[in-house]
Amino acid sequence: MPIVTIYYDRIRKLLKQSVSIEQIIETLPYLGLDLEEKSDDYVRVEYNPNRPDFSTDYGIARALNGLLGFEKGAPNYFVERGDIKVFVDSSVKSIRPYIVSLVVKGLKLDDETIRQIITMQEDLHAGIGRKRRKVSIGIHNLDVIYPPFTYTTVPPNYRFIPLNYTKPMSMEEILRDIDVGREYGYIVRGFNRYPIIIDSKGGVLSFPPIINGELTRVTSLTKNLFIDITGTDLEAMENSLAILAAAFQDAGGKLVSVEINYEDKVMITPNMKPNHIPIDLNLTRKLLGLNLSKFEVKECLEKSRISVIDKDESMIAVIPRYRVDIMHPVDLVEEVVIGYGLANLKPTIPRGSMLGRFNENLMKLDRVREVLIGLGLIEVMNFNLVSREILYDKVRRKERRVLQVESPKTKEHEVLRDQLLPSLLFVASRNLHEEYPQRIFEVAKVCILDNRKSSRVREEYHVAVLIAHAEANYSEAKSLLTAFIQQAFNKQIKTKPTNHYMFTLGRVAEVYVNGKKLGWLGEIHPQVLNNFNLRVPVVAFELNLDLLN
Amino acid sequence: MPLILHRLERILLQTLAELGETNLEKLTSNSNLNIDQVRRAIEWLKSKGLIEIKSISREKISLGENGKKVLINGLPEKRLIKTLLQIGGRANFQELKNAFPIDGQEFNAALGYAKEKGWIRFSSIEGKTFIEIVSEPTITTEEVLLERLSKGDVFLDELSQEDLKTLKVLIKRPNYITQKSIKTIQLKLTQLGEQTVKSLKKKREIDTLTPELIISGKWREYVLRPIDVVSPTPPIYPGKKHPVQRFIDEVREIFISLGFEEIDGPLIQPCFWNFDALFTPQDHPAREMQDTFYLSKIKAKSIGSDKIVENVAKVHLNGGNTGSKGWGYQWNRELAEGLVLRTHTTAVTVKYLADFKPSEARVFSVGRVFRNEKTTFKHLAEFHQIEGIVVGKRVTLRDLMGLLSCFYSRLGLKKVKFWPSYFPYTEPSLQSVVYIDRLGKWVELCGMGIFRPEVTLPLGVKNPVLAWGGGLERLVMLRYGVDDVRKLYENNLSWLRGLPICL
Repeated sequence: MPIVTIYYDRIRKLLKQSVSIEQIIETLPYLGLDLEEKSDDYVRVEYNPNRPDFSTDYGIARALNGLLGFEKGAPNYFVERGDIKVFVDSSVKSIRPYIVSLVVKGLKLDDETIRQIITMQEDLHAGIGRKRRKVSIGIHNLDVIYPPFTYTTVPPNYRFIPLNYTKPMSMEEILRDIDVGREYGYIVRGFNRYPIIIDSKGGVLSFPPIINGELTRVTSLTKNLFIDITGTDLEAMENSLAILAAAFQDAGGKLVSVEINYEDKVMITPNMKPNHIPIDLNLTRKLLGLNLSKFEVKECLEKSRISVIDKDESMIAVIPRYRVDIMHPVDLVEEVVIGYGLANLKPTIPRGSMLGRFNENLMKLDRVREVLIGLGLIEVMNFNLVSREILYDKVRRKERRVLQVESPKTKEHEVLRDQLLPSLLFVASRNLHEEYPQRIFEVAKVCILDNRKSSRVREEYHVAVLIAHAEANYSEAKSLLTAFIQQAFNKQIKTKPTNHYMFTLGRVAEVYVNGKKLGWLGEIHPQVLNNFNLRVPVVAFELNLDLLN
Repeated sequence: MPLILHRLERILLQTLAELGETNLEKLTSNSNLNIDQVRRAIEWLKSKGLIEIKSISREKISLGENGKKVLINGLPEKRLIKTLLQIGGRANFQELKNAFPIDGQEFNAALGYAKEKGWIRFSSIEGKTFIEIVSEPTITTEEVLLERLSKGDVFLDELSQEDLKTLKVLIKRPNYITQKSIKTIQLKLTQLGEQTVKSLKKKREIDTLTPELIISGKWREYVLRPIDVVSPTPPIYPGKKHPVQRFIDEVREIFISLGFEEIDGPLIQPCFWNFDALFTPQDHPAREMQDTFYLSKIKAKSIGSDKIVENVAKVHLNGGNTGSKGWGYQWNRELAEGLVLRTHTTAVTVKYLADFKPSEARVFSVGRVFRNEKTTFKHLAEFHQIEGIVVGKRVTLRDLMGLLSCFYSRLGLKKVKFWPSYFPYTEPSLQSVVYIDRLGKWVELCGMGIFRPEVTLPLGVKNPVLAWGGGLERLVMLRYGVDDVRKLYENNLSWLRGLPICL
């Protein structure tokens, strides 16, 4: 999850009243911010992805001012009508159809402000922008470019100097040779033209969503900014623009609108008009278990930087445009409780009583464990995802009907096991230097490809037992199996000679209870022992418990 | 209390009983043990209060330089007699002196001793002194004592009265004998030692009680030799539950006692139940392959009833009839058919809600969940989640806080705080943090909230649903003091065998 650095000296300047660092740090978790790191100069906090407005310290200060009672209700944002125009060429329609923009004037940028803005930009790209697919943001020095601007497309051999480079490169070269080109190129590849934003003199602002032009580089001397957001999801783009605009105004900039001219319509951006959502007073009281008055609800919401219009019958929440997470009256319930302060909310025990009940199938597993433990066995627990090597190669088994997962991060988690014994052999191989005899068992689910099932996978509970020591033999395993089935299920087993890759021929049997084949019992094949580096005889059995009742 | 005696101790006790008070040398030679064994056993016996050790000073007598010469050459007086015999048995002083070349003083001494022993006599004839043999010399006591000393030193207190007289004579002769004071120890049985020796003698000892001895009653004729009840014995190991399973069972019992019903469901889920039904948009980052395990090549044949699927599609598009704005995108059924290894047990819970549409319920589960992550000391690709819901007309967020506090309290975690949090499927959303004394800090344990109407209404559930879920392993690690989560599933037998179940 995304992380923001909050410098104490900056946040104290942004707060409207003086407050101790300790109090700030103590309050942050009550905004839903997790403390990650604390130093003498700053804290680093992790914010939740539903609050992209927390991607700068400006956004966090805004919320702190509310919760600490320094400011009330929704902040006001002023957008001056500007005369800069962006023309949208229809050739972008099929590639990256939308653009929204904003001008910010009179900024005083220092290094930390620039760093905060870059972090915000990257977080918006990654989250709400879905890795720049939906939204990508370009921030430019307005004073070096000449409006109006055009959002259009160019052929792959079009050349300009990308940000941080000194020589012109073609669009193709950028996608091939620059890191960001390789990382985000997939968004625009496959078209024979690429999107570009240029000014009236042909200067290149940006090759969205890949890289800006070197021309518009922003430094601490930059006063006036032009911001472009291109993308495929107009709502997500407008949301992002509102979040940026709010931060820039809080940073001391003046917001100026831009006129976007599509072929068929004109849009003025940014839109900073607050959203109105009705407050469900009853729902709020009911879910919180608090009999709050209208006034109290209003006060709580104002602490969460939401204003309230109180009409006779209903209450309407005025939600600042940067709050993009409020989609249902239930979201306001959370805003009320945050304003109320979770520390003030007293826990209660739910009324009424119900009868507890263990799951019957899991109780059967409890019984299995009890008997095996009584027989002196130690329970082990292994992962369901195992390597091919363990599930197939080492136990001399041919791959068939493999349940494989996509792009696992390690080979150890490659396939879903349909048997437990390979895992137990692996456990034995990891315990070569532990005292023998070793007697272990596992009770767990296995997954089997089964096209009759709607999910195409059959899940069964299995039990497997492994005994390893110098004198281990078939007879010991069969005695144990007999005792186990008799004690746990009051049933008798029958064994029938068979052949099985994992076991020695002539010392392996199928296990039957009530005429149903449950699994195998036998002495592990010496080649398998070699494959697992085991140095003592091993006997084992594995049964499908779902067939036993 | 019977004393346990080592074999060496028993031998020494018996030897000491035979010898009475004695010294180390005697004890060693009589016991037929070597000196190291004796020294060791003496230490043990002393610490058990069975013997008493005195340190004393003894006079040691050894041969002097001249004593050694005498043993080779014979006593000077004897040699004098021999010379006298060779020159006729009688001679005057000068003649004898010439025949027996020896230092003047010694000559006189030899003459003196020979006279004293009565072997010669002096006579005076014509003013000359003659020496003549009176009797043949015999073996003298001096020679006997010197001979004895040549075989080894002797302590003064070992000599008889006669020997002491002889010694007195020998000491007077120059450098025949040396005498030295030596510190040495003297051992004897204490009263307890004597009693112990008596009890040792009473009955024959045996090592093993055999069935035959028990049945025949012959055991009465023997004493079972006491054994060492202090030394360590070989280890044995009980059969045991895995520590994680033990903890799971503890959690299960707590929820059963709070009136919850336990449910269990599939590990493999269509995306629909794992994500879509939980109002997680189809382009949500958590759904990507680098976070979630998808099964290769296969998709679910069916995902849910048409009604529910349609409701979910609408809620994603525009909120349907839930009062929500929705996510504003066209929901894609094909993406919902992908099969994943469940990333949370909430998939099972939500399916339960869809199947039973309860107006009132308390349900929990503890189950395995999967995330496509590299395994580190902090993270596993496969772990367990504790999950539960409460459905009811009047259940509140405060109830949820109360239930979780109660659960933690039963696990021994008394200090709990709640902070706001976020999940796509709950609102309000909280997380609980618990103070851990051992770590001296607050630890995040569990996420919770009230299912969003966008989740419950499409399933046909009308009442609020309180829900929570959290990792189990964190709690197990805190319980067993484990700092690396991988250790829990290494199945190292010495860890499993050694870990007490009462932690």
